[in-house]
Amino acid sequence: MIAVRLFRGLLRCLPARFRHEYGQEMVHAFHAELREARLCGGRSAEAGVWLRSLRDLFATAPQEHYHVWKQDVRYALRTLAAQPVFTAVALFSLALGIGANVAIFSLLDAILLRALPVLAPHELVILTDPDARGIFTGMQPGNRQRLTYEEFTQLRDQTRVFSSLMASQAGLETLRIRVNGAAPEETNGRLVSAGYFSTLGVPALIGRTLSNTDGPEPPLAVIGYDYWQRRFGGRPGAIGAQLAVRNTVFTVIGVMPPAFFGEAVGDRPDVWLPLELQPAVLPVGDLLHDNRKDLQKVMWLHAFGRLQPGVSLEQAQAAANVVFQQGLSAYYASAPTEEARREFLNQRLKLQPAAGGSSGVRRSFAEPLTLMLAAAGLVLLIACANLGNLMLTRTTARTRELAVRLALGAGRADLIRQMLTESMVLALAGGVAGLGAAWGFRTGLLAFVSESVQLPSSLEPRVAAFGFGLTLAAGLLLGLLPALRTRRVDTNAGLKEQGRGLTGSAAWMRTGKVVVAGQVALSLPLLAAAGLLLRTLDNLQRVDTGFVKENLLMVRADVERAGYEEPKRQALFDRVHARLRATPGVRAAAYSAHGMLLGADSGDEVAVEGYVAKGEDDQGSRYDHVGPGFFSTLGIPLLLGREIDQRDHAGSPRVCVINEAFAKRFFAGRNPIGMHVTQLYGPQKNTYQVVGVVGNARKRSLRGEIEHRYFVPSAQPIDVPGSVTFAVRTAGDPKVALNEVRRAIAAEEPNLPVTQARSIEELIGERTLLDRLLARLSLAFGAVALLLAAIGLYGVLSYGVARRTSEIGIRKALGAREGTVVAMILGETGWLVAGGLAGGAALAIGGLRWIESRLFGLSATGPAAILGAAVALLGLVALLAAWLPARRASRVDPLIAIRYE
Amino acid sequence: MPTENPDPQSLLPLPAAAFQILVALADRDRHGYSIMQDVSTRTGGQVRLSAATLYSSIRRMLEQGLVAEPRHSPDPASQDERRRYYTLTAFGRRVAMAEARRLTEMLAQARETGLIPKKL
Repeated sequence: MIAVRLFRGLLRCLPARFRHEYGQEMVHAFHAELREARLCGGRSAEAGVWLRSLRDLFATAPQEHYHVWKQDVRYALRTLAAQPVFTAVALFSLALGIGANVAIFSLLDAILLRALPVLAPHELVILTDPDARGIFTGMQPGNRQRLTYEEFTQLRDQTRVFSSLMASQAGLETLRIRVNGAAPEETNGRLVSAGYFSTLGVPALIGRTLSNTDGPEPPLAVIGYDYWQRRFGGRPGAIGAQLAVRNTVFTVIGVMPPAFFGEAVGDRPDVWLPLELQPAVLPVGDLLHDNRKDLQKVMWLHAFGRLQPGVSLEQAQAAANVVFQQGLSAYYASAPTEEARREFLNQRLKLQPAAGGSSGVRRSFAEPLTLMLAAAGLVLLIACANLGNLMLTRTTARTRELAVRLALGAGRADLIRQMLTESMVLALAGGVAGLGAAWGFRTGLLAFVSESVQLPSSLEPRVAAFGFGLTLAAGLLLGLLPALRTRRVDTNAGLKEQGRGLTGSAAWMRTGKVVVAGQVALSLPLLAAAGLLLRTLDNLQRVDTGFVKENLLMVRADVERAGYEEPKRQALFDRVHARLRATPGVRAAAYSAHGMLLGADSGDEVAVEGYVAKGEDDQGSRYDHVGPGFFSTLGIPLLLGREIDQRDHAGSPRVCVINEAFAKRFFAGRNPIGMHVTQLYGPQKNTYQVVGVVGNARKRSLRGEIEHRYFVPSAQPIDVPGSVTFAVRTAGDPKVALNEVRRAIAAEEPNLPVTQARSIEELIGERTLLDRLLARLSLAFGAVALLLAAIGLYGVLSYGVARRTSEIGIRKALGAREGTVVAMILGETGWLVAGGLAGGAALAIGGLRWIESRLFGLSATGPAAILGAAVALLGLVALLAAWLPARRASRVDPLIAIRYE
Repeated sequence: MPTENPDPQSLLPLPAAAFQILVALADRDRHGYSIMQDVSTRTGGQVRLSAATLYSSIRRMLEQGLVAEPRHSPDPASQDERRRYYTLTAFGRRVAMAEARRLTEMLAQARETGLIPKKL
């Protein structure tokens, strides 16, 4: 009958278990009801029965599914609780794997993916290089990284393609602020143009923001939420507070909302001040006007805007460049030659979408974070394979139980769902624990990376979705093998199995072994990477810097900010230098403009006597200004001539010292002593006579070739340095001596701000920060992978040995000795591990290029040697993991084993 | 698997369908369709249980120990041996009585307040 068949088909929306139990009865009842309705009431009554039955069926189905699901979960929880060791190992590895992935992804998301918390972030465009930070002085050919204030105002006032345009300082400033007349406190501030907040489209939480109608007077300030909470206890009275920066008093007019940090990812300014007040806030000269005397532009601003409706990015870029070029033409009109002018005009703006804002950390962190995420993903994959294998082993051991359930009427779909429910419950619990772990990892990672990098800590939907997706994927991966296994459970065979409860086909043992080999293969690249990165770190930390690193402090003081005019600076350098040398605990002291490993540098064109440049790129050199005794204080060896000393004052002949790389490059085969080096920049020209050659020393980077460089006496400067770095060799621990050094500087000049004070060890630590991060994380990941591979191997072999107890018993009964049995098991394992190692080696070699750029100081055979060591280590651990079950197998008592047959 | 529940109160109020099934099984064991018929007859066609509602309720009531399946069919002359019969358990009877008491008390309260006449 069609109606009955139809109803039977509709019953498929009910869970199989329910259908199996009551389906027949339901069809029976429905049929009887329908028959009676037809007899008594005809078609309409029949339709009524149909209607009621369908409505109830579709209402009941979800309830019954929910009921089955609840039962499955309860059963899964009971099963997991009955195996506490397995469950604990599973939860721990899942929490670790998911936590590490989520933590790293959340950092990647905050730095790379997330849009700024501003109005319509995808409509923002940036006119400068979003990765640029700080100040650059001179000329920058090609795409402009930063703008000058004049360039910004020209663009703002003369273009018609932007609906709004704003500028902000391309760096965060540490300001000493006195709040309502209190003692000065160090505060993070950023100078921004009047249109800053309206362009970002974010109103103040309380009070108001700076607006286009605000002039430089009266001085106004907007503060950040965190600063408001920290400094003002979140009181509304903060509005109207007086913030004194140097001699200017700013009135707080607004507090920004908690999520707002501005346009630069990684920064969290406490206070925003009007750009027009730069000379009062930052006394580094007038940055509001381009200096027309020496054609050196001071570029220090980022510019962001929103396009007028209907204007494309290309149109806006073209229009902005027209205005920009007009400005350049006017500014460089006084260029000495036509060629120089052409070169000066080779600058342009590149507009790009700026939903993610600018960031000083994005470029350096993107690659390491991506690498770490890949490694963490690999670890999770290994953990899932491991647990999947353990679950497979458990499933095989549960064949009897499953067969009983099948015989009692459960469908195969029920068993598969049960297996997947177990793995999902495990994965979800692991995911929840992983979320907690992620929070801890993230905090730890951020603290390790830098105290100054501030990222929003809220749980973003994208990160939550990533974690949830990962958890689901892990649950599926875990449950896949056991679920497939249940498809093969044979009711009869399963019920017949007796004895130790360990059954299972050889095919499933093979699957388990393949998974273990896969784990070995995935672990090897992680171990090899850990080895390579650890060796790199070690090489970097022990790199020959060319100077003596022990007990050396670098103390940078900003004379320009102290208000010293150029002519008075040299005398101050000398006075502080003399005082430092007389300070207790100081063995020697010297100074230079840039110091060592602080990141600052200078460079210009040079003309070297007797050297014919091979092209435009062949006439540049870096230089530094140094005080007397600089090279001997740092322990940089003098190779020829003399070093710069007290003789080299303002009135004496102008001399310089070159490094070995400079001598090789420009004086190959010639004696440089007595020859002349001329610095050139536009119309500027300074000639020095070479009086000495010193060894190469690393000033900027620990990696790469050491740049050629010349050193001029600071008393005979190219440009009078605005800041100076004192190199102080201490008698004992430099950190202990630091206070004395600071006191000595303050005693000589109380207003001289010390902007940086670090030992060389600390500076090397900062330079190798990402290397340390990568090395430590990859070591941790490698160790976890190794442990998991060992557990996996041990688990599968233990199970295999238990399964083959009777076979081994027979072998022994036939005369096999213990050693033979051990050799047999190890031999079988050997092939498994060798296969995994071969696959792993291929993966490692293929993956090498991903980390190649991060390696340093490895010989040509270095990577191969490290890969070999990783293979040996993994092989050894695998052997150990296999040896335990093999030994157990060898001790099988043939009598007991055979009794079961 | 039926779980013995010592306190009938914990299951109250019963879903309407469950109470009807308990009442239907009060005088004798019945199979599913017989329950449906009994409910319909007793309520003058006001309440009609569909197969899905009936068996979903029975599944739950079996688990709660309110009803059970007797080992032998109570009606040896039954034409269809495949029919499954259900019987009221002692616990089911206690629960049905408790529910009936609860309904009676509610009715009494409604009468006390004058919401409904003393005698319908």
